[in-house]
Amino acid sequence: MEFTLLWAALTGVFFAWGGTRLWPEGLPDHATDRMVGAAAAGLFMGRLVAMTLQGTNPLTHPGDILVIRGGVHTAAATVGALGVYLWAVKGQIRFLDATAAAAVLGLAGWHAGCLWRNTCLGAASDLPWAWSLPSSTITRHPVEIYAALGLIAAAFIVARLPIRTLLRTGAGFALASLVLLLTEPLRLTIKGGLEPWYIAGIAAGVVVVTLGGRAVRSAPIHTT
Amino acid sequence: MTKHIARIVLVVLIASACASAEVDTSGVPDLETVTVEEFASKLESLGRPAIVNVWASWCIPCRSEAPLLTAAHLEYGGEIEFIGVNVRDSQTHAKEFIAEFGVEFDSYFDSGRAIPNHYAGIGTPITFFFAPGGELLSTHNGVIDDHALALGIDELLRFES
Repeated sequence: MEFTLLWAALTGVFFAWGGTRLWPEGLPDHATDRMVGAAAAGLFMGRLVAMTLQGTNPLTHPGDILVIRGGVHTAAATVGALGVYLWAVKGQIRFLDATAAAAVLGLAGWHAGCLWRNTCLGAASDLPWAWSLPSSTITRHPVEIYAALGLIAAAFIVARLPIRTLLRTGAGFALASLVLLLTEPLRLTIKGGLEPWYIAGIAAGVVVVTLGGRAVRSAPIHTT
Repeated sequence: MTKHIARIVLVVLIASACASAEVDTSGVPDLETVTVEEFASKLESLGRPAIVNVWASWCIPCRSEAPLLTAAHLEYGGEIEFIGVNVRDSQTHAKEFIAEFGVEFDSYFDSGRAIPNHYAGIGTPITFFFAPGGELLSTHNGVIDDHALALGIDELLRFES
């Protein structure tokens, strides 16, 4: 049963790899490996934070860290993955920009991986494309499929942007957060939605784009 | 300076890791032992849907999902019956687990795993979703996460209405 999570992760990796084939311009060597490594490090960091917030000490219960289904803190995982990726490309921002579209596509794959896990469904709906759990007659929004489609669209938009300092990175961050924010009301949750984090993600993306734009404008002009 | 800070952080981490968390189990009663027939009868007599969580104190994933189930019980305990089934465990360890996570719903003691075996559950933890009257609607083998539990609860609440 637990292997369904692995299949979902592999779907994400496959989509990210596809992104590097679709948009290879400016990528570092072994871009997919670096992305997977960064994602794994982000998961680890997000899991540690989630455990700590749940009141479980990771040092006294190290085995719990592996129980990814117990919860991963989205914001901590994102920050961790970005940090490790930057470290892996030796702090060269241009590689972040070159990878942004493939990373958003990888995220789309992760959400599409709900099909392996049978976790695509959210709020009840009578729409014609809504479907139900195997044992139920209640039809529901396939919310994770909506998210996957939105993220695929976001990846293609990001890929059309020029590779300029932080433009693709910020746009990717903001668009991915926007897609997840728009689909969040259709997800069922007990602990509460992640809307504040997604709003923060959009704001962070806009700030990153703005800072990148300023850096480009203030950069010295080299003449030969 | 950086080395000093790193040392202090290391000492704090090691100290927190070594600290034995004393759990006060004085307020936790012994878990009642039930047979499969008795358990099924209890479910049938309930006038509302039920979520049955199979757990053990030695089960690492059970620790991860315990806070979620506790939160769900606080939120939906009025509409849905939450029941724990402790398997292959000791009373002492089970009570420590209950006290540590502040689990407020009742748990039964089933050292032989007869109850999850009867409902064809696999491994530990397992979460069963029962309709009013004790009909098994669905089974979630393994750790249950926020969305899966919320979906199961929504199904039960709509079933009830």
